[in-house]
Amino acid sequence: MGFDIEIGKCTECKRCMIACSLAKSGSVRMRSSRIEIVPNWPEVPEIRVCRFEDCEGHPCIAACPVAAITESKGRVLIDAETCIGCSACVRVCPYHAIRMDDGIARKCDLCGGDPACVKECVTEALKRREVSP
Amino acid sequence: MTSSLFNRMLRIDLGARRASVWDVSDRVRAYLGGMGTGVRILCDEVDPTIDPLAPANKIVLTVGPLTGTAAPMHAQSCIVTKSPLSGTILNSYAGGFLGPEVKFCGLDGIIFEGAAEDWSILLIDDDQVRFESATPILGATTEAAEAYVKETYGSDYRTLSIGPAGERAVAMAGAFSETRAFGRGGAGAVFGSKRIKAVGIRGSHAVMTADPARFSELVAQNMDALRGARAEEYGLVGIFSRFGTGGGMPLVNGRGALPTKNHTYGSFEGAEQIDGPYYESNFYTRRIACFGCPIHCGRLHKFSGTDGQELWGRGPEYETMFSFGSNLLNNDPQLLAEANRLTEHYGVDSLTTGVTIAWALEMAEAGKLTSPGLDLQFGCPEAVLGLLELICTREGIGDLLANGPRRAALELGNDSLARAMQVKNSGFAAWMPRRMKGTGLAYATSNRGACHKRAPIGAEIAGAMDMESYEGKAAALIENQNVVNAIFTLISCRFHEFVTDHETYPALIAAATGQAFSWDKLVTLGERIWNLEKLFNLKAGLTRADDRLPGKCFEPVLGKTSQSSVMEAEKFEAMLDEYYRLRGWDSDGVPTAEKLEALGIAEDARE
Repeated sequence: MGFDIEIGKCTECKRCMIACSLAKSGSVRMRSSRIEIVPNWPEVPEIRVCRFEDCEGHPCIAACPVAAITESKGRVLIDAETCIGCSACVRVCPYHAIRMDDGIARKCDLCGGDPACVKECVTEALKRREVSP
Repeated sequence: MTSSLFNRMLRIDLGARRASVWDVSDRVRAYLGGMGTGVRILCDEVDPTIDPLAPANKIVLTVGPLTGTAAPMHAQSCIVTKSPLSGTILNSYAGGFLGPEVKFCGLDGIIFEGAAEDWSILLIDDDQVRFESATPILGATTEAAEAYVKETYGSDYRTLSIGPAGERAVAMAGAFSETRAFGRGGAGAVFGSKRIKAVGIRGSHAVMTADPARFSELVAQNMDALRGARAEEYGLVGIFSRFGTGGGMPLVNGRGALPTKNHTYGSFEGAEQIDGPYYESNFYTRRIACFGCPIHCGRLHKFSGTDGQELWGRGPEYETMFSFGSNLLNNDPQLLAEANRLTEHYGVDSLTTGVTIAWALEMAEAGKLTSPGLDLQFGCPEAVLGLLELICTREGIGDLLANGPRRAALELGNDSLARAMQVKNSGFAAWMPRRMKGTGLAYATSNRGACHKRAPIGAEIAGAMDMESYEGKAAALIENQNVVNAIFTLISCRFHEFVTDHETYPALIAAATGQAFSWDKLVTLGERIWNLEKLFNLKAGLTRADDRLPGKCFEPVLGKTSQSSVMEAEKFEAMLDEYYRLRGWDSDGVPTAEKLEALGIAEDARE
């Protein structure tokens, strides 16, 4: 699974980021969100989040010098315990979907298949992709 | 106990270039947040008789217990200061992202004190403040000033700025934040008087709640209610979601309550070329939202400027569709969009500025006012844009108009004051008081001058109350003022309350902060704040005479849909008497000792 994004519908309200940071850190802290709305005012913004299904070769996995990044059941996961914070994965991600927070690389893990962000997107700019095309 | 409030504010001594963290006193904490804490602080710390542009004035920027949480429609922050426009205490609001960022700094507010020696940019990182020179951006538009802060100091700063109008002490200058505005009351001129051109705010804190599980449950319920309202075809919130605030214009026009040609008529033939649905279907449109808001009433459009150049601009809000549209007999959507954009760039409130221009055009029509090189006629693009620029730069007759409609009329003299559609120098909003008697009383009695945010507009326009009647309007208005003050402590968007069950508010406060507040107690807090503001204004020298409507309101409205509506002077005075009595005030509008005692603010009584 993954995301379908229709960027023209994004209102930049950031409810996806609020939901993500609550799911991942238990508080509202935008830097903890693993999805990011990057404004390009006045043009449409960019939604930065892991696009596993669209991503060719998953370069983050090979870039990690300590094998903290692995693929599992259609998702790429970062093991926070193993991560040494070198940010090599941040540099190679074609979707800019990996962010450093408190010295650890963080990315979307699709909330185990039921992403918190999607439920909050009232305009459906961000949708869950059920089946691979 | 964990709370969504930090109980800390930042005090910035601008003259000494020093900031310190202030642990909010219990006295102030009792006012919850937003408008409440702002008003309490200003009343405690600022002498009501001072010149609003003197260093002794303060700017109190506050947020509330729900700001920066997942509760939808709590993006706004509040500025309380003494207004250079009205000479009253002011509360003014802006949406967007500034409020949550203040919270992410680990703060419930920022108090700007004194005045900087040189034009400055303030960079606030959590509770640390840095002063940078604003010399490179003096004279810059709000957009350019904020772009400079982001480009020079970091794109993750949330920004606040003033434009050329604020630098020149234009009385209706606003403070802008990423195209959202603290519009009403001249906060931009107060920032200018303190030589603050721009502020960058960037926080690293997390916002937590006392009972996260309960809070999430309440937020989910509230989101369901808002999703429902959003999908309603004829509901106001559904209309705002689809068309922006201008979506309601056809309704008001149809009711003959759309002020047109400086409040001469109650409907405008050209309205359907400048309303929300027109912009939505004729211009490239992006729907934009404030922090965490599912309604997204904001709009961005691409349009052509008067010189044919393609421009981006925020969609005019409904109030601007009146102030630079119907009220100026302007049915050109491109001209309206361009005027709206210029108010943002120069940094002025589009409402009072438009109202002042409408007055100037009526004076010109009567042969009492001229401006070299400008054909001062209603609907004339050069007149609209020309006067706007003169006001913002204080050039020519702009220097007179920049003091606001009341002061300009007093200076021009004769009977011109009767044609200035203002109360306390603050321009009327987009609702015609002669057609809507309760809204007329709201304009008259508002502590910040001609305010539509606390008015029985919904009941009058939708027909729940006979809009022409005087009956029951005072009581309905008082309820409205107290309720809106209550939710402005949180700070809820005005539209949030259209949809949300009142019992939701105390539940959200309890889950966020652990504090028990019943709805009744919240509304009493709203009443307490209203009385505190009134006391401030009385000490500033205002009297019953400042709670009156201009003379034109007592002449019949012209035009076929408005049924020659008129405000009858005796009935208006009787309604005002009733309002004072129900408020527990004497016939001069002074709160009685018993009322103040009951509200627990006897010590604030007039000296």
